Amino acid sequence: MNRISHHPDQVYIDGLANNDSEVIHAIYKKFVPKVVGYIKNNSGDEDKAQDVVQEVLILLFDQAKAKKLQLTCPFDAYFFLLCKRKWLNELKKYSNKGVTIDKELTSIDGSVDEMVLQSEHFDEKQQLYDMMFQKLGEKCQELLKLSFTLPSMEEVAEKLMVTYGYVRKKKSLCIGQLTQWIQENNRFKSIKNT
Amino acid sequence: MNEEHFLEFDEYLQGEMNAGDKLAFEQRLKEEPELEMAFETYRELRQHLENKFGHADERKAFKENLKKISKEHHKKHKSKVIKFKPWYYAAAASVAVLFGLLFFNYNQDPVFEDYNHPEQAFFTERGTVDTTLKQAETAYNARKYSEAIPLFETILKTDRSAEIQYFYGVSLLEVNRFTDAEAIFNALKSGNSIYKNKAIWSLALSKLKQKDYKSCKELLLTIPEDYEGNDQVDALLDELD
Repeated sequence: MNRISHHPDQVYIDGLANNDSEVIHAIYKKFVPKVVGYIKNNSGDEDKAQDVVQEVLILLFDQAKAKKLQLTCPFDAYFFLLCKRKWLNELKKYSNKGVTIDKELTSIDGSVDEMVLQSEHFDEKQQLYDMMFQKLGEKCQELLKLSFTLPSMEEVAEKLMVTYGYVRKKKSLCIGQLTQWIQENNRFKSIKNT
Repeated sequence: MNEEHFLEFDEYLQGEMNAGDKLAFEQRLKEEPELEMAFETYRELRQHLENKFGHADERKAFKENLKKISKEHHKKHKSKVIKFKPWYYAAAASVAVLFGLLFFNYNQDPVFEDYNHPEQAFFTERGTVDTTLKQAETAYNARKYSEAIPLFETILKTDRSAEIQYFYGVSLLEVNRFTDAEAIFNALKSGNSIYKNKAIWSLALSKLKQKDYKSCKELLLTIPEDYEGNDQVDALLDELD
């Protein structure tokens, strides 16, 4: 990670990751009104706009926490485009008329497009992983949850009243199951796209 | 991929392999693209779970904070819309006084004309070619009620919808055919269409136009609070008192 090459607006990303109220207020003051205006002008209202904004900010929080968000473009353009596209997708989902929304990116700055695509890709992946996780049996879910919350696998074993060897093995098999599902899903997708 | 592979992935990621096994494993990743793909997916999933559960509390705190801040800005935004500067009050008051002086009519009773705001009709959708309907709509919207009435009568022979009846009734009221208009509105009033409350309001207006203030008031009192034109109802009731 080369800190020097970051865009100065990385402060907003870091602020979100640290749940810094001052930074969040600044975002609401400087960047949110433009998004709200856009959504209101495009068949939305204030409440819907606030939902979109919150969803996008949570996505940025998740992505920053996963250490996968290094801003290379102005926050303003990046944030606006993310919100805009999220809203257009929402409209598409709920309209029966099959409104055609072109998926093409329209910003002039290539680095903005790239950042937006990265975030959307991260979002899709997260949703897929969460969906697959819900498909796991209760035991796998509980064990994985504990494995990543408790500080050691010994404590997980103690909590579940089983042996250390068992939880270690079970943990990798549960993630293994997820791995298989994801791979099947990806294969399915690539067949569908060809 | 089988169980053995997943156990191996975990061992590698936990940093529990000895140097020899580690090198051999890395070599295999380079040679077997299938294995490498599975390993990458496994590693990402593990990272995702670690991120998801490891930061669960922080994420919850963030979401709550976000909600709170969003609400604050939301409120500010809303109040901005109704913020009224004191000099606007002054200006508005002087304009009101001026109007009052110019147009004050010394009649204390409310008049039909003050409440007569017939809405626009939109019968025809794009693409339909029902000429009579279009003509009725045009005549009605242009307030040429005596032209619109016969057209509505033709339409009503085939289309008895509440919408057409309502606009027909309004047209009759506008040309002072009170009995006919009230018959239409009474029919709508006992029905269950979306024009039910509008019909009661129109009935009240009909009474107002005939200066039958008592019946007008009685009708107004039967209009439910959630009627969309309720401020008009309240305003007229105030005036009648």
